[in-house]
Amino acid sequence: MEGNIVTNKKTIFKTARKKVNGWEVLKVLLFVFIAAIVILPMLITLFASFKTLPQIGSESALKPPSVLNLDNYKDVIKNNHVFTGLKNSTILVVVSVVLNSLLSTMVAYCLTRFNFKLKKVYLAVFLIGMVIPGTVTEISRFGIMVNLHVYDTLLAPILIYAGADLMQIYIYNQFLSQIPVSIDESAMMDGASYFTIYWKIIFPMVVPATATLGILKAVDVLNDMYIPFLYMPGANHKTLSTMLFACIQDPRTSSIPKLSAAAVIVMIPTLLIYFIFQKFIFSGIAAGAVKE
Amino acid sequence: MFKNGDVKMQKNIILVTFLFIPTILILMFMIYPLIKLIGLSFTNWDGLSPTYKYVGFKNFKKIIFDSPEVWAALKNNGVYFVGHILFIPIELFIAFLLDNRVRCCKLFKTITFLPYIINGVAVACMFSFLYSSQDGVLNSVLQFFNLGKIGWLSDPNIVNYSLTAVSLWRFSGIHIILFLAAFQSLPPDMTEAAVIDGANSFQQFYRIVLPNIKPVVEIVLFLNVRGALQVFDIPYVMTAGGPNHASETFTVQTINTAFQYADFGRACAMAVVLMIIIIIFSVIQQKLFNLKG
Repeated sequence: MEGNIVTNKKTIFKTARKKVNGWEVLKVLLFVFIAAIVILPMLITLFASFKTLPQIGSESALKPPSVLNLDNYKDVIKNNHVFTGLKNSTILVVVSVVLNSLLSTMVAYCLTRFNFKLKKVYLAVFLIGMVIPGTVTEISRFGIMVNLHVYDTLLAPILIYAGADLMQIYIYNQFLSQIPVSIDESAMMDGASYFTIYWKIIFPMVVPATATLGILKAVDVLNDMYIPFLYMPGANHKTLSTMLFACIQDPRTSSIPKLSAAAVIVMIPTLLIYFIFQKFIFSGIAAGAVKE
Repeated sequence: MFKNGDVKMQKNIILVTFLFIPTILILMFMIYPLIKLIGLSFTNWDGLSPTYKYVGFKNFKKIIFDSPEVWAALKNNGVYFVGHILFIPIELFIAFLLDNRVRCCKLFKTITFLPYIINGVAVACMFSFLYSSQDGVLNSVLQFFNLGKIGWLSDPNIVNYSLTAVSLWRFSGIHIILFLAAFQSLPPDMTEAAVIDGANSFQQFYRIVLPNIKPVVEIVLFLNVRGALQVFDIPYVMTAGGPNHASETFTVQTINTAFQYADFGRACAMAVVLMIIIIIFSVIQQKLFNLKG
């Protein structure tokens, strides 16, 4: 019996092997090439972060560091606001993601479950939001932030990040339209209010979409340089991105090895998020973004 | 159970409470700035003084007829735009292979999307090192093959291509993942039928797969116009628009006009122009795409 299975496995293996032709090898080689392009710049940066400046000049960039020299990291942490950046970025991510997912599910719930007069106008407004080039509207948004007295506080970016956008509403709509309205109705029969339906039924059922959108939002917020750079110039309000930007401009840390160490520090949070949650990212994009 | 009137009342209450904050946010931080932007584009505001004068179409006239640097910057945006457009067929092909047509496709999928996740400023740091003229990695590779050094970021004729390469490195992944998601949403029997009818892979792809993922291709094309015309952080962090304005993009210039030269009126006019260009380009692109399809 056992032998039988083994021979079976062998034949399966053989047939699988037969398929390995030139085309198959070429395809794998193509992807190895792509992987190299993606990974090499990061690997080189990681190596450089452990080297000294003379080593950078004399060694090949691809040579792993001979010793795990942490001086660059110590210097960056000593001279720059690494922990402030980490703290502020964390606050921004948590608050923005929570607010944003509540607000966008609420909008999506209203838009899919109710008919109201201004529905079309409402959607059009979100569509305009999609076409407006964000970077340049900051010029006029800037004045509003100053007038609201939120300039150079964490509130300024939060107000911008928290708002729902068309893409999110669209993806939530995809999920919500798959939840039969009869569920709402039967809950209603049992005396549930619309709020209870949203909070106890709808919100828990769209959690997969929330996971995807929340992760993408978290990555966006962590990686955004522009908004914190404009609205939070104070040293106490550095985020990871603006801290790194400050490193580039600070002569104490602008050498290649130190900058590499700073870049590695800044990359770690998003990489962690990515490797832990990547399942959700891909499944959510697949489920929501495409089905028209 | 609720009576009909109660339900209607409740519906109105929920609509008002649920939509209140999102509406305030979008009106205050999207629509109002947009209206203000358009309004300010007709003024000579410097961003600080409490008063300003309306100057009519002066800002727009100056941008269109008397600002060669604006057009030079737009040409730089064009390099990003064309670079990404040329990459779309490659991205489609890679996504097509990732759809279970290559070994270890899960691993390769993870790697392909990786650059999109990385902090833009960190990406700028990494590539500054690769491109550096002194100890840069690329130049030492060239030296190894006895080729001359290239001023990746210092040669005005090359800098935009170097920066576009960074942009491709960073953003191709998201296009590929969107295409891949589109491929995976197609029912498998769709291509199976074509295989039975004797269609080869190319025919399968061109005649069956491509027409069916058209909406996603349209989204990617729109994102590309929007992205290419708004490139900001890569040139701003890596070259600050240099050498000698050679890599300034439209947005870098707009921001400098506003915050460095304190000419908010003109910067707002530039923003309006950019918006119009984005809309025109998207419409033309869509028309062309539909003609071809």
